[in-house]
Amino acid sequence: MYEVRFHGRGGQGAVMAAQALASAAFKEGYYAVAFPYFGAERRGAPVLAFTRMDKQKIRRKNQVYNPSFVVILDDRLIDLVNVSEGLNPSGAAVVNTRKSPEEIDLGMEIKVGVVDATSVALEVLGVPITNSAILGAFAKTTGVVSIEAVEEGIRDIFGGRIGKEAGEKNAKAARVAYDRTVVGTSRGEKKMVSKKQWLPTVQELPLGLATRSMETDAGLVGPGSFVENKTGSWRTFKPVFNRDKCVMCLLCWFYCPEGAIKRVDGGKTLEFDFDYCKGCGICAEECPTKAIEMVRD
Amino acid sequence: MSVSKVVTGNYAAAYGALLSRIQFAAAYPITPQTFIVEHLSEFVHDGLLDADYVRVESEHSAMSAVVAAEATGVRSFTATSSQGLALMHEVLFLPSALRLPIVMPVVNRTVAAPIGIWCEYNDTMPQRDSGWIQAYVEDNQEVLDMVIQAYKIAENKDVLLPVMLSMDAFILSHTVEPVEFPDQEAVDAFLPSYKAEHAHLWPEDPMIIGSFTPPEYIQEVRYQTDQAMKAAREVIKRVTKDFASAFGRNYGGLVEEYRTDDAEVVLVTLGTVTSTARDVVDEMRDEGKKVGMVKLRYFRPYPFEEIRKVAEGVSAIGFYDRSISYGSGGPSYIEGRHALYGLEIPVMNFLAGLGGRDVRVPDIKLMFEKLLEAAREGKAKKDIVWIGTRGVEP
Amino acid sequence: MINIKDLPDEELFTAGHTACPGCGVALVVRNLMKVLGKDTVVYLPANCLLVFSATYPLDAFKVPYLHLLFENSAVAAGAIRRALKRLGKEHVNVVALAGDGGTADIGMQALSGAAERNEDIIYVMVDNEAYMNTGIQRSGSTPFGAWTTTTPVGKKIMGKTEHKKDVMKIMMAHDVPYAATASPAFPADMLKKFEKAKNKEGFRFLQIYTTCPTGWRAPSEKTITLAKMAVETGIFPLLEYENGLLTVNYRPKGKYTLEEYLKIQGRFRHFTPEMVEEVKRWIDMRWKWIRTIEEGQKVVSGGE
Repeated sequence: MYEVRFHGRGGQGAVMAAQALASAAFKEGYYAVAFPYFGAERRGAPVLAFTRMDKQKIRRKNQVYNPSFVVILDDRLIDLVNVSEGLNPSGAAVVNTRKSPEEIDLGMEIKVGVVDATSVALEVLGVPITNSAILGAFAKTTGVVSIEAVEEGIRDIFGGRIGKEAGEKNAKAARVAYDRTVVGTSRGEKKMVSKKQWLPTVQELPLGLATRSMETDAGLVGPGSFVENKTGSWRTFKPVFNRDKCVMCLLCWFYCPEGAIKRVDGGKTLEFDFDYCKGCGICAEECPTKAIEMVRD
Repeated sequence: MSVSKVVTGNYAAAYGALLSRIQFAAAYPITPQTFIVEHLSEFVHDGLLDADYVRVESEHSAMSAVVAAEATGVRSFTATSSQGLALMHEVLFLPSALRLPIVMPVVNRTVAAPIGIWCEYNDTMPQRDSGWIQAYVEDNQEVLDMVIQAYKIAENKDVLLPVMLSMDAFILSHTVEPVEFPDQEAVDAFLPSYKAEHAHLWPEDPMIIGSFTPPEYIQEVRYQTDQAMKAAREVIKRVTKDFASAFGRNYGGLVEEYRTDDAEVVLVTLGTVTSTARDVVDEMRDEGKKVGMVKLRYFRPYPFEEIRKVAEGVSAIGFYDRSISYGSGGPSYIEGRHALYGLEIPVMNFLAGLGGRDVRVPDIKLMFEKLLEAAREGKAKKDIVWIGTRGVEP
Repeated sequence: MINIKDLPDEELFTAGHTACPGCGVALVVRNLMKVLGKDTVVYLPANCLLVFSATYPLDAFKVPYLHLLFENSAVAAGAIRRALKRLGKEHVNVVALAGDGGTADIGMQALSGAAERNEDIIYVMVDNEAYMNTGIQRSGSTPFGAWTTTTPVGKKIMGKTEHKKDVMKIMMAHDVPYAATASPAFPADMLKKFEKAKNKEGFRFLQIYTTCPTGWRAPSEKTITLAKMAVETGIFPLLEYENGLLTVNYRPKGKYTLEEYLKIQGRFRHFTPEMVEEVKRWIDMRWKWIRTIEEGQKVVSGGE
């Protein structure tokens, strides 16, 4: 049985990619299952999706812990999430990146297929949505499914969801990505760390979960503890602040949904907190003196 | 000085709340609970009860309000019946998981369809998995005494669970009988004021309550609540004893056995049928029949050990039920069989009084006769017996 | 009167929450908390805000908060306030932060009851015009013609066939001490309303226009632009109801056309000229009603 774990961000269509791969595998004679990580993540937040493929009926309903392959829709996720956790060393990784295989460090030396799926998507679809293109790279890297089956799977899932024409275009994106995919071996120098989680015992857990602010081995929990969650990693665009143009009207400070803009120097100027800025662009849009500009992060 | 008055069960329930010095109440009227909300209103409007009493727009809101008030840190009370409890269903699961010690009398009434207003346990029994302690009472004195005991049990640090006090529609709610009202001072000594240490909503000590919770934590919460329900068994026994020494009335803990010494068969009862059954037991004993009775006082936590112990000394045991789990018999019977697993005696179920039909002395006598017959034969002719159902052989 | 500069630096609704980029609810709540201050207890029903700000064990609110269910915000908040008063914590604000579905639809019964009893709370309806938490389904507050996943653009029926429910009018019918609508694109007006709501007693209702870029299929940077356009086109009037009188806080100056407002949002992409006309008719009808009330008030007070 092959198990595939997709690493994407909310809104990038990782679940649709997993489903299209299942459909492709089905066309190749596999029994295939695709499912999301059942969470409630919002746009931009790291998310997971899974595909299982086997020659016989797949009865296993638990989550995937030791994937044969991981598919990474955004190479910046490598620094955020332990993308190679549990990855079978005889498997492979597929990464959307501008880097070469040798420049990718997954904390283990493993077969890796790379493609600049974002550029492919922009060229073919006109939008930077990479969930179809990346499947072409998957076919090229793993050989588990043919590119023809991937195209069919995309026509099936994407076509059914967003229209026949869009399905066709996405199939084309996969084909272009297939042709451009370079397969090599990743570096294994980085120490991959999984995010620590607070897992108290029954005895440690506050009664009825009525929780005060407290420090745990995984950081702060309780009131005001969301600061532990650095949402800056969600960003694709980043505000660049030109202090000279700023008139301190404070509209950006007021409008920031994250509170990622701070008054500093006794209220004389502003500072952007990139730990949390999600790059929504409201600040730049609303700045009356155009002192903020959004650039690709 | 305590005084005795002839009052309804509903008055006893409301007065129990008054003596417990509740700080907050929210309720919605429903027959046959209405006297409770009316009496509470009188107490508040006459200045006898110093509590916030919110006359809300539905039972869903009533339960929501008491849960929110209790989470803020005040002793809270509500009362309902039948459809009202069904409407509360969604809210019932909150105080047990959030560990909020609310007390709620439920005047047991049939749940539609068909619509009726008389006594049946198909309102409270389906709520048995909601995490509430569930007690059933047999007379108006017990109603009053149990409201006070319920707070004492609920607020115990090892428990911190809500308590549902089931009392029969009309047979208690609208029937007057003498009730002794304890002194306020004595009640205050028995039941000190509520201190919300584990959960409150105070800006000087911020807590988050009721977060959106992933699977990493919920299973532990379930275990905590299960432990609390189990711990309630010992606490109930202790509180029963303490109450007896303070007020002179001992209800026996999780169950009360009646003439079970040397009994050949026993009937496990709950609610007001217990009271009538005491007469039947006495009559049959006078006829030389070795019958006994166990009053199931608490359905949650269920008294497994107590029921098993009684059953081990008899030749047949029966469970009286005033509601049915279709196709499986009554809830008390189902639970009883679970408690008696492996015991090789006839275990019978008697369904009577559904929809509020009167359960008469001959009906109860028939239950005992059926048990004696099963004891003689070593086997019941029928495990589940419908009593007094036209066209159905008992 | 409080203005932007006076807002404290401390965030009582912290960063790190997982709202979508450009979330109108997050930016409104963040500033509301600054006005209300530390002595506040928050009640959250089931909504986006709960999920993105209170995912156990993490939490964005520094003040105490409670979540119980979806449909009981007003009654739960009222009970918290009463219990706090009983405990001698008179000075604590209690605020319910409910969405439009939790207010206009499933929460209406509890809302009406609490308003009628004049519960001493601030009830905020963050109005993003659909059930966003469950994935963009239509609510009573979804505008006419809008695409949602339960009002799809089909071959026969395109979008929602009914107009938006006027919750402000419903609250006025309850004669609450204070009710207002606000838009974050008008910060002075919104902050004034936050402050008024904080300082008044009894039931206080705020309906805030909160853009949802995800659900409206709009670019995340347009959150405030849309909030501005909604007011300028008259589709979301800024109103205040106080001491039994209605005040119009801003008269649309026609800086944007309705067509421009609709065009930015994917949820209106399928609009035909007839649908645009229907929305215009609805806007005119509502403003006629508003003006009728205003004129009537003038006549009555003039006659006294």
